[in-house]
Amino acid sequence: MFVELNSILNTSPDDVTQREFILLSDRKADASFLIHHYLSFYLKAGCKVCFVGLVQSLSHYSAVAQRLGVNLVQAREKGQLVFVEALKASAAVMLDQTGGDVAQMSDYLRSPVPELRALFEFVRASLSQAEAEADSNSPPVLIVDDLSVLLSLGVSVRAVLDFTHYCQATICSQLQGSVVTLVRCDDDDDDDEDESSSHLLRALSHQCTLSLRVEGLRTGYCRDIHDQVEIWWRGTGENVQSQRKIFQYKVYDKSVSFFAPGTSSAVL
Amino acid sequence: MLSEVLQGTESGGFVIIRDTACYSGRRLLKYYMNCALKRGEAVHVLGFEVPEHELCAGLDSNYLHLFHFHSAYTDPLGWTKQSLFTVKHFSAKEITLLLQETQHANDSVLVIDSLSWVVRHHDTVTVCQELQKLRKAGGSVRMIFGLLHMDLHQQGIVGTVSHVASTVISVTPMNNARYAMAKTSQRKKSGKVMQKEEFFSLPEDLTLSIETKPNQSGNVQTDLYTKSEVDPTSNLTFNLHLSEVEREAREKVALPFVFSEEKKSALLRPGRGSGRIMYEPDANDDIDDEDPDDDLDV
Amino acid sequence: MAAPMENATKGTRLSGSSTSFQKKSRSKLIQIPGTKPSVHTGQLIVSSGVPSLDCALGGGLAVGSLLLIEEDEFDSYSHALLQYFLAEGVMSGHELFVASAQDHPDDIIKDLPSPLQDEDPDLKNASSSSPGQQDAMKIAWRYQNLPKFQSVLSSSSRFGHYYDLSKHMEQDLLQHAKIHTFYLPEEQPASTHLSGVLGPYSVLLHSIQSLIRQNGFDGSNSQVKTCNVLRLALHSLGSGLWGDDVCVSPAHNHALSTFLYVLRGLLRSSLSVAMVTVPTHLIRNKLLRGRLIRLSDTAIALQSFSAADRNNSLYKDYHGLLHVIQVPRLNCLGCEVPDTKDLAFRLKRKQFTIERMYLPPDLSDSVSRGKQHLSHWSSFCLTASSEWSRSSRAGS
Repeated sequence: MFVELNSILNTSPDDVTQREFILLSDRKADASFLIHHYLSFYLKAGCKVCFVGLVQSLSHYSAVAQRLGVNLVQAREKGQLVFVEALKASAAVMLDQTGGDVAQMSDYLRSPVPELRALFEFVRASLSQAEAEADSNSPPVLIVDDLSVLLSLGVSVRAVLDFTHYCQATICSQLQGSVVTLVRCDDDDDDDEDESSSHLLRALSHQCTLSLRVEGLRTGYCRDIHDQVEIWWRGTGENVQSQRKIFQYKVYDKSVSFFAPGTSSAVL
Repeated sequence: MLSEVLQGTESGGFVIIRDTACYSGRRLLKYYMNCALKRGEAVHVLGFEVPEHELCAGLDSNYLHLFHFHSAYTDPLGWTKQSLFTVKHFSAKEITLLLQETQHANDSVLVIDSLSWVVRHHDTVTVCQELQKLRKAGGSVRMIFGLLHMDLHQQGIVGTVSHVASTVISVTPMNNARYAMAKTSQRKKSGKVMQKEEFFSLPEDLTLSIETKPNQSGNVQTDLYTKSEVDPTSNLTFNLHLSEVEREAREKVALPFVFSEEKKSALLRPGRGSGRIMYEPDANDDIDDEDPDDDLDV
Repeated sequence: MAAPMENATKGTRLSGSSTSFQKKSRSKLIQIPGTKPSVHTGQLIVSSGVPSLDCALGGGLAVGSLLLIEEDEFDSYSHALLQYFLAEGVMSGHELFVASAQDHPDDIIKDLPSPLQDEDPDLKNASSSSPGQQDAMKIAWRYQNLPKFQSVLSSSSRFGHYYDLSKHMEQDLLQHAKIHTFYLPEEQPASTHLSGVLGPYSVLLHSIQSLIRQNGFDGSNSQVKTCNVLRLALHSLGSGLWGDDVCVSPAHNHALSTFLYVLRGLLRSSLSVAMVTVPTHLIRNKLLRGRLIRLSDTAIALQSFSAADRNNSLYKDYHGLLHVIQVPRLNCLGCEVPDTKDLAFRLKRKQFTIERMYLPPDLSDSVSRGKQHLSHWSSFCLTASSEWSRSSRAGS
């Protein structure tokens, strides 16, 4: 959890905004630090978190979380965290060795026309359960790292969008929780390609309430300023005004510092 | 023009509001829903993208009994078996049945939020055909409104769907956060086409105000094109205009090298007896195509 | 990295007290030959066989990670890197797995370069030139205490070996190494229904998985108590010889990306490290390259110079450019960022080196000889700067 980002977003673990659909994205940069931020943020806030780790192993996430002051293993034992080890399961599923829960959930790996329905059912089951037992102050949260991997596995953009729609409808609207997803773009923005991650990003931009978009610096590579992030509060209907702000940032060992463009300590 | 879209009495109108992620057209859609409600027309919404309470917010509460939300938001594909209406039911027949369940005597307006959802799950051609059937069915549905996210479809698909519509409104954001621009093109049954670009602002209470310029109030409904024809000489610190007297005086001034008619004709007449140079090339001529001084462009 | 920690010390982790536990695990893990914990993240890393490449990638290759090499046009330098990687495995006593559809793996093994006995050629040079360095500067004395400019990437501690490409590795060294090979033409075609999704790679994946499982690299097989690293070298995946059509048709094809994903999953839960070369310049679908990079941990691209390129004075000392496309972020928030991304490589007889690119001093006679050469000099500067901008753009 990065305190500086919290103050920019005007939020804190004691005051969690409900029903948020947060879209993290990057292009020519790496936005995974934001995933770690939200994972530790919601765990510190006491929310029940379902984390779908499609990219890294559990030990990676827990090593980083430890630096940010959160113990994933403990959270998992307490039942606060449901960690879907999708990456680890992939080999077993692919080579036909496990039956049961995991295999069914990961059926997108094997089906010729993959759908994410089983994954959604799992997420819903794990978070609805939480709703029944936990107190109402801690909304359930789904974090997916990251959706664009699914496209590489042959899942269509349409299927991913169906999945996110159901997640939003169930978690944000019904359970008053939040959804955080990451989309990593590896193609050109102006691509008129239906199956590109840019297309997925555009579609999710319509859905989201808050978008954090990480981009490489236009001026090229720099050692002291890693990249820039555009924060976009999308005025969704009710009260928030649409507003965009750009910050530059630098990632440190345990934190990230954000500053207005051109005001890096290396420059001033 | 934006405010007149709903006012026609002819049935079978089909309005598409095209937007992008930068500026949502949903509020404009809500504005039209509100207008229709105030006219006492029933509004049927096929809601895929936002839940009912979000779409309801801001609508005139006196008329909410005319508002019917057919929710496909929580379960658009029938995964959780919660809703009666799913995207698979998107056909003229099913929708007509759906509207008849809660039919009022008066006219009704059908709102599709959004067409992008439908197009994603159906063949574009089928969608167009069903929409056309709905329009032609007459009777119950007076107008259809649809939201289409332009940036989510290939150009051909946007064009095909828009082609079916009678009115297409494209909204784009302005630099000024309060205002947006709407480009409206309306095709009348007579074949007349009207196109207009307008700046508008639409706050949460759904009161539409149309402006000529985003920072000037008043003067509603001035065409954008006239703006570019403003006289550039109007606000100068010096005088570029000529009065009639000045112009006459100017014309009287004799300019140098402007000759009188007599002199001109005298000059033009071929002179007789004046000397001429006759030259015929000779074999002994020393033709030198070099350029000794380097100053000719040979 | 991840895997060994998880397997070896799960119990300790649960009991808390993180800092002391990490040190303990490090001292335990360091017993695997040819590995060391990373300075930045404490992960277990191995050498790629090219010390300057290790340096460019932040110390070495993390165990459990996947290095993707985008081949140069003729696959000559990427092939050399693959051989270095395998040779380093032999020298460190790691187990090897070589898969190819083109050359027979046995031939690749046979051609591995021989290790240099007198080790680090750079160190030797440095020590021989050091007496000269000691002399006090008379005129440019202000520069006396500045560090010496070093273009070759190297780290202070020695890690990895140097190899002589002109000689083949001795037979007895090879005989001691445990080498598994996979040659596509000799394998049985896949019979399972899975070949649909994974396409031509399902057989390969099966054999990698059974190797990892049987030899206990994932810690699941309790009978085999290996504490060793498995190096996987997969040559030219995606090329036509593998039976893949990504180089032929621009249609969406997910076999290769799915394979990489599942391989990543396998690596993460075992003591293994993989180097995969892919001829990305041949891939027709424009989305696929980006996806392959995202699915691997580290990605580098080699771009070899043509004869025309090498006429450029900036490039004349090098054989090509090395682009570091992606460095991994494993077990940490950030990653070690390099000073510069303008890297070039040259292949000498004994050494593959990666250097920071810089303008060489122009030592020809023509320099500073009167006015008539001025135009020549400025045109040189112009081409050099345009090349600079081009290369840095390509690098970023």
